[in-house]
Amino acid sequence: MNRTANHPGGLALVDYWLGDADAATTEAIDAHLLACDACGAEFDAIVALARGVRGAFAQGRVASVVTAAFVAQLKAEGRRVREYHVPRGGSVVCSVAPEDEVLVSRIDAPLAGVARLDAVVSRSHGLEGEERLHDLPFDAAAGEVLLANALAEVRGMPAHDTVVRLLAVDAGGERELGRYTFHHRAST
Amino acid sequence: MDFAEAAVDTPEGRLAARVVAAAPGLDREAEAQLIRLLAPRVRRYGQRHLRDDHAADDLVQQVLTLTLEKLRAGAVAAPGQIASFVLGTCRRTVIEQFRGERRREGLLQRYADDLPLADLHVAPRLDHERVARCLERLAERERAVIVLSFYEEQAAGDVGRHLGLSAGNVRVIRHRGIDKLRRCVDAGRGMAA
Repeated sequence: MNRTANHPGGLALVDYWLGDADAATTEAIDAHLLACDACGAEFDAIVALARGVRGAFAQGRVASVVTAAFVAQLKAEGRRVREYHVPRGGSVVCSVAPEDEVLVSRIDAPLAGVARLDAVVSRSHGLEGEERLHDLPFDAAAGEVLLANALAEVRGMPAHDTVVRLLAVDAGGERELGRYTFHHRAST
Repeated sequence: MDFAEAAVDTPEGRLAARVVAAAPGLDREAEAQLIRLLAPRVRRYGQRHLRDDHAADDLVQQVLTLTLEKLRAGAVAAPGQIASFVLGTCRRTVIEQFRGERRREGLLQRYADDLPLADLHVAPRLDHERVARCLERLAERERAVIVLSFYEEQAAGDVGRHLGLSAGNVRVIRHRGIDKLRRCVDAGRGMAA
């Protein structure tokens, strides 16, 4: 091929795919991809990765912090979302049904002034062990943290209790913001 | 930003010139090669701007049908720069689709069977379990940003608004996470191969 050009690179192609490129850059990349197969292959890899993430989440294989807006969008798309809302110091009896597609724990927390947020998750009844989730993203104004669970994993769990402790972390140490208990009942 | 290709002498330009030179007859081999070259490129444009694989496939049919029609009729001013013609056709077709015009249906009925698209290149699909395992290895922030970005195909500002992050911060986290994720997925592929 007899061509000369600046290639946009992977990061610019991610911006392009997600709508973060401005109009002029989007047009320039449109034109570039109509002529450059190497960048086209890079674009294909990004799209494949995006689809892979979407598929993994849709299959309930991924646990992640999510947002209320995201959950609302899932519902608007017709996804079967099961939510458990737990106040500070509270508990809830929970389970999952075969038709559930997404399982979300919504936990209230006073997040104003919190610099960094960690969570410690511990389980009982044969699932003993403690897992610390570091530096969770959060919106202080929301006053809650939403955790999407890996539904595929939860489905296989026996009845047990899960205790989540939210911790505010700063240079002076850490303090507990709240403790939340989920009494999980095995799926039917 | 300038990503323009200086298309001096390109494979697609040479093939387009062959199609024009064959008129009023047909150079089927040149047409088939041209379609194979251009179809994945048009499909990418459709994926980006229509956000739907089926709509992107329809776009490929519409745009390349019209392109061949114009080349055979000698109605493309610069066959050597056929990529520019195709880009313009993509833009107009997508705008027409957004306006709800039905020209595409007529075109498809007239010419769809004429396009050799059976072997159209389609982007690879990744194993979801492998992607999930690699997502698990990311930091919480990276995983959240990537899931929220890619699941709903949201721009950085939209993701950040609800996570207490600026758009710039989301882009930094997203790029770092994608880099790790790709390396992990690619390493898994290598081991599986």
